[in-house]
Amino acid sequence: MRWIEDRYHALRALVRRGQLETDVSDELEFHLAMRTEEYVARGMTPEAARAEALKRFGSVDAYRQETHMIDRGLAREVRRTELWDMARRETRQALRSLSRSPSFAWMAVLTLALGLGATTALYSVVDAVVLRPLPYAAPEQLVWLDSPVPKLGPDAKWDLSEAGFHHFAREARAFASLGAFDQYNGSLAADDGATRVDVATVSAGMMDVLRARPALGRLITPDVDTPGSPRVVVLGHDFWVRRYGADPRVVGTSIRLDDEPTEVIGVMAPGLHLPDDTVDLWAPLRMDPTSPPVNSHWVRTVGRLREGFTVEQAQAELTGLTGRLPELFPRAYQESFIRETGFTTRVMPLARHVVGDVGRVLWILLGSVALVLLIACANVANLFLVRAEARRRELAVRSALGAGRGDLAWHALTESLLLCGVAGALGLLLAHGALRLLVSLEPTGLPRLREVGLGWHGVLFASGLALLAGGVFGLFPLLTGNKDLARLRESGRGLTASRRSNLVRGGMVVGQVGLAVVLLAAAGVMLRSYWTLHRVDPGLDARNVLTFDIVLPRTRYTNYDEVNRFHREMLARIEALPGVTSASVSTHLPLRRFGGCAAMAAEGQSTEPNKQPCVTSPGAAPGYFKALGIPLVQGREFTWDDLEQKADGVLVTKALAERLWPGQDALGKGIRGNGLGPPYYRVIGVTGPLRAQGLDKPPSEAVFFPLAPAEGLPLWGPRRSPTVVVRTATSRPELLTPDIRRILAELDDTVPMANVETMERVVAKSPSVARASFTLFLLGISGGMALLLSAVGLYGVIAFIVGQRRGELGIRLALGARAAQVAGMVVLQSLRFTGLGIVLGLLGALAMGQVLGALLFEVSAADPLVLAGVCGLLVTLAVLASYGPARRASRVDPAEVLRSE
Amino acid sequence: MQVDLLQGTLDMLILKTLTGGPMHGYAVASWLQRTTDDALCVEEGSLYPALHRMTRRGWVKADWGVSENNRRAKFYTLTAEGRRQLKEESSSWERLTQAVAKVLHAQPATQGA
Repeated sequence: MRWIEDRYHALRALVRRGQLETDVSDELEFHLAMRTEEYVARGMTPEAARAEALKRFGSVDAYRQETHMIDRGLAREVRRTELWDMARRETRQALRSLSRSPSFAWMAVLTLALGLGATTALYSVVDAVVLRPLPYAAPEQLVWLDSPVPKLGPDAKWDLSEAGFHHFAREARAFASLGAFDQYNGSLAADDGATRVDVATVSAGMMDVLRARPALGRLITPDVDTPGSPRVVVLGHDFWVRRYGADPRVVGTSIRLDDEPTEVIGVMAPGLHLPDDTVDLWAPLRMDPTSPPVNSHWVRTVGRLREGFTVEQAQAELTGLTGRLPELFPRAYQESFIRETGFTTRVMPLARHVVGDVGRVLWILLGSVALVLLIACANVANLFLVRAEARRRELAVRSALGAGRGDLAWHALTESLLLCGVAGALGLLLAHGALRLLVSLEPTGLPRLREVGLGWHGVLFASGLALLAGGVFGLFPLLTGNKDLARLRESGRGLTASRRSNLVRGGMVVGQVGLAVVLLAAAGVMLRSYWTLHRVDPGLDARNVLTFDIVLPRTRYTNYDEVNRFHREMLARIEALPGVTSASVSTHLPLRRFGGCAAMAAEGQSTEPNKQPCVTSPGAAPGYFKALGIPLVQGREFTWDDLEQKADGVLVTKALAERLWPGQDALGKGIRGNGLGPPYYRVIGVTGPLRAQGLDKPPSEAVFFPLAPAEGLPLWGPRRSPTVVVRTATSRPELLTPDIRRILAELDDTVPMANVETMERVVAKSPSVARASFTLFLLGISGGMALLLSAVGLYGVIAFIVGQRRGELGIRLALGARAAQVAGMVVLQSLRFTGLGIVLGLLGALAMGQVLGALLFEVSAADPLVLAGVCGLLVTLAVLASYGPARRASRVDPAEVLRSE
Repeated sequence: MQVDLLQGTLDMLILKTLTGGPMHGYAVASWLQRTTDDALCVEEGSLYPALHRMTRRGWVKADWGVSENNRRAKFYTLTAEGRRQLKEESSSWERLTQAVAKVLHAQPATQGA
């Protein structure tokens, strides 16, 4: 191939190094020879002449070196300019040729840019959340420890107990270090009232586990991590910048945290947070290893594996150590407890704990946009093909005039690389925008969100795809090989599309329809799933309710009386606001914070294995059920009188009542947590079914306790970071926020207000709904794009075929075929493609269902209604897409066609 | 007597030499020698780096050809840019020599005059 040879030689001459050396030597030799000849002519002997010539010349070595260096520089420049010139020349030519068909260029660029942008955006999310290691040193050594209690519920798990944590930290050899932590909302005093801060209380070991380094000062060390040591904090880097303007002088000063003076001892290195949450302040956890062991599992634990140890080895060791708990701490861990709960200790890679099963959703979504990209590529390939057909005559002429086949391929490649390059750049912009939007929407349940963005991985990914697409499209028309030259000689009109390229084209349309069916089916079942989820009755009335969290500094509010006095005063003032119907407060909030798994005992029932209830136990103030719109099916709710008299009434959810006392009247029944035997709390009311843990979960089992314990009955200590709920008569309850803020400031300006949200937002942001809407949103976009792109693809191909068969159609019409018959033929062709595509697509959809199943709520992945709907949609589409071409076909003028033949 | 050349002046002389048409290095050296009656001391070795440097700057163009006695030789041709450079350099050279001459011919002023 001539063009290849030409280019080869040009490049070769440019890069040859040895050539330069020879040139320099030759030039020198020529000079010396001439001079020698001159001297010989003057009568010198050849030897003397040569010596004289050399002397005259000066230092040969210096000459060689200097000259060679200059030449090398020159060669580099020439090489650069030649390459640059070639690129410019080809680009200019490609631009000129593209500008002659701008609609083709724009169509191709926009289609590809959309596909590339969407794919790159989702790839970036997958990369940041799933693929990239956690942002710590040697993250593969980090593990998460917890205690599954499978007999309390399929997914039930606790954290570790203090006794267990210390036991493992002392004995386990598999860990280089273990770190414990907890989190709470602190109140930080400021000139303009208090702010809520996210405080992580961590053991000194946690610093080793995370390999944390201070940016300033020092971190949490064992000497400040002991009970009774002075109060200290380390500032999170972001918080230090945001709140203190990165002023280094803040280290060593005292701040008022939870209304107590606390010394700032350091600033954390930038970017270091807890594995699954951001941290404003780091404070010592100050556990006491000598305190008596209790069966309370609140210690969240991260470990770092010792060099050379695997997760499996750590698991084996932990299982052994857990087995010794009853023997070591007989009071806290009875054998019966282990038996009845199925208590074990589990270790897993930290990344898996953080990412959870979100990875699965993300991969599915990435897969779906990749399919969209594929459909887009089929369209673009089609555009290239049509363009190649249209230019076939031009190309044939050019090659007849001496342009090599290689030259033509080279031009096609440049053109397509140019298009794909522009599309890639545009796609990157789109991806950047989409990612910014995603991060700003803060979808719940998407971990590591703060790490999501368009990084160099994404740029590389998009560039790679664009380059690949450019190469494929550039060389694609070659596939539909031809003998244009021969054809040109035969007849100018013989240049119709080859059978082979028609086959390629048809195959692509069938594939497109198939992929569209898969994506639409996925979006369809997701829509049904979302719809079903949406129609689930949470068991409360989320309309017109405002919720927010408060934090009562633990130094000011030491006992139940102080906490409850504040609540009563605050609620009274809020209820006095115009537009407020009722207000109350609780330690939990359905669909946002309704966890916990406490063992409850009902009076007169033995706790059998497998029947041990795993029950949530919130505390609620009077008026709570009215404020949240939770109906009572029986009995009544708390009153302030109950609270004052320390009455022993509790409310249970319907689900719990039905399980504990099936077929009986629950009112008056006795129930208590933490152990057996009287006295008991008494049920005074039963709520309707309440799905507080997620709309996709069964109705919750919960006991609502009063905010203070009854006489002689145990209850947890007073809870100082509760959630307030305010029911209003208006549909915009958030407008009350400033008034409520003012009330809080008047009552106690150390109490911060945070997480202000309407209850409707809380429902929408609850994990199951948020995930369903996130998935649906993205699948919907994918499906919509697939539909649109396939319609365009189908239209393009049908229109092309009609154009190609004009002659035949004209003859048919001339022979007496009716216009409707001809139009019907065209529509039928479109339906044939679509039908084949639908069959393939349905198979694909069933396969996709296997993957999608786990994401669906009460809908089968092969939902017949959805599949039928999708088929109907595509058949309609096939008819619509062929309508225009069919009309054109039926209006072909036979006379004109025959004349031109 | 021989005079040492200032850096840069050599470039100018070479450019001037090449106004006569394409020449190889040896011809340039010989012509310079003849024209100046051996008054200028041009170490021939320094001629080539100068030629190559000017090639890189685009003042001259180098091509391989065949010499008058049938040998492979590299010929240097003055480019348009080289011509421009020569004009600039020779005019500044003339200004310099005129200025120097003025000083040398002037009568020094006496102090306080």
